[in-house]
Amino acid sequence: MTQQGGPERSVHELYRDDPERADALAWGRRGVLKGAALAAMGTALGGTIPFARQMPAGLLPAALAQGQGGPQFLEMEGKARLILQGERPLNAETPEHLLDDDVTPADKFFIRNNGSVPEAVADPRTWKITIDGEVNTPIELTLGDLERRFELVTRRLQMECGGNGRSGFSPQAAGNQWGNGAISCAEWTGVRLRDVLRAAGAKDSAKFTGHHGADSHLSAQGPAISRGMRIEKAMDEDTIIAIRMNGAPIPQMHGAPTRLMVPGWPGSLSQKWFTRIELRASPHSGRGMGGTSYRVPVRPIVPGSRNNGADFADLESMPVRCVLTSHAHGARLPTGTRALDLRGQAWAGDLTVSAVHVSVDFGATWQAMTVNPPPNRHAWQRWTGRVALPSDGYFEVWYRATDSNGRMQPHVAANWNPQGYGANPISRAAILVG
Amino acid sequence: MRGALLAAAGVLLAASAVLAQDPDLARRQAEAAAAIAGRAEEETVLAEGEGRSEVFAYCTVCHNTALIRRSAFTRDRWDELMDWMAEKHGMNPLEGEFRQAIVDYLATHYGPRQRGPRGGNPFLD
Repeated sequence: MTQQGGPERSVHELYRDDPERADALAWGRRGVLKGAALAAMGTALGGTIPFARQMPAGLLPAALAQGQGGPQFLEMEGKARLILQGERPLNAETPEHLLDDDVTPADKFFIRNNGSVPEAVADPRTWKITIDGEVNTPIELTLGDLERRFELVTRRLQMECGGNGRSGFSPQAAGNQWGNGAISCAEWTGVRLRDVLRAAGAKDSAKFTGHHGADSHLSAQGPAISRGMRIEKAMDEDTIIAIRMNGAPIPQMHGAPTRLMVPGWPGSLSQKWFTRIELRASPHSGRGMGGTSYRVPVRPIVPGSRNNGADFADLESMPVRCVLTSHAHGARLPTGTRALDLRGQAWAGDLTVSAVHVSVDFGATWQAMTVNPPPNRHAWQRWTGRVALPSDGYFEVWYRATDSNGRMQPHVAANWNPQGYGANPISRAAILVG
Repeated sequence: MRGALLAAAGVLLAASAVLAQDPDLARRQAEAAAAIAGRAEEETVLAEGEGRSEVFAYCTVCHNTALIRRSAFTRDRWDELMDWMAEKHGMNPLEGEFRQAIVDYLATHYGPRQRGPRGGNPFLD
């Protein structure tokens, strides 16, 4: 690094005093960093903290301490104590035991951002979305238009990050090291995407979609993410343009005032702060498409090997998974406890869950749990059951779901890929009796 | 009966008023997210070693150090990620000695480690 400006001046000081000049000196470039990126550089190096003065007390993450070790937690008004995966971009996972509600409340909804959270809009009713591309009549609709012109539907829809379960991969894959908690099943109200696409006159040539939102990349260059899918999924009755979550306006963190809901497929398709959908004759090429992004090997590759993903296929319907919500990992139970009343949720992308099994002897024996049918298609399913314990001591509850095609969660994360999609291994929660 | 219905309607109205989004909450959440994202980090949050300043300065232009600290990659994977960030996320391509310094630091201090997906056993210190 060609650090200039004298050895007595640290790069911190350089950036703090004049980030643009520092950038030019340090990297021999000028005008590369603009706007937010420049501010971010200053911020990262201790220059300025945007919003610091307006920030109400109690909004800072609890774990300001930069210690190693245990997880850090989010503290934000309107949000539960979620596991902080990262601050910039802001990502937070819901601990499994907080996923017990059949309808995920806003405070327990995981946070996934690829870029920065946009500022709140003053008047949501004037928010506009555009439908264009392979349509006869490109249209622009306000949220008010949407409500007036199209039938409103309300559905419980499970929506999960494409990288949920990533921490199960070995060797480690790149990205947020999610456990099983990047999952939600809220009650969404909106209009069917297909009704809106038909109103615009979708052409026969429309084979794919491309989604656009208002959040920008952390470099301040271009959109945070822009993904698309096959038209068949766009025409599914459960794919909606959502305007309410759990009967209330969509929270800012979750895409206010409107977002797509593409249940059962990688959450990145459920564009937050939704502004535009284009219909296309060819697959979308936005940020987050192609290569190794949201794609998995068709022919399995050696775990940890280098691969550009050219032969991979887009991850579509998410694989079967279940969470245990009655007992937290690390729960300690009273001496003499000889039975566990277990419960949790299970889901399987576009499919349903046909069985959940539990083992408390490291997989030597398995016991079938009761699995409720979903209240509607694409909603997760409640499972419950009781298992006996032979003694006090250390146990692990292993829990495993099977989908309606008979495919169960594997013992270890399968089909390793560089960015870590589709990991759904059997989960293990440790408990100690006595 | 009618009174009960009216009362129920009143409750519903009150409930919907409560449910209406507090526009101020939306603003506060957006600001809180920006505040968390903009929180100052010290370079010392990263492991001490040659190349730390370069890594801290270059990488935190786009993301904070959580992405580095949670990672455990081989040198080859780190090297591959440099190309991925340049191709997919508009990072200025890293080349030559500077690239080597960055990748060396990351591979040395954030290399593969043996840990289960949930870290250590919760009942051990």
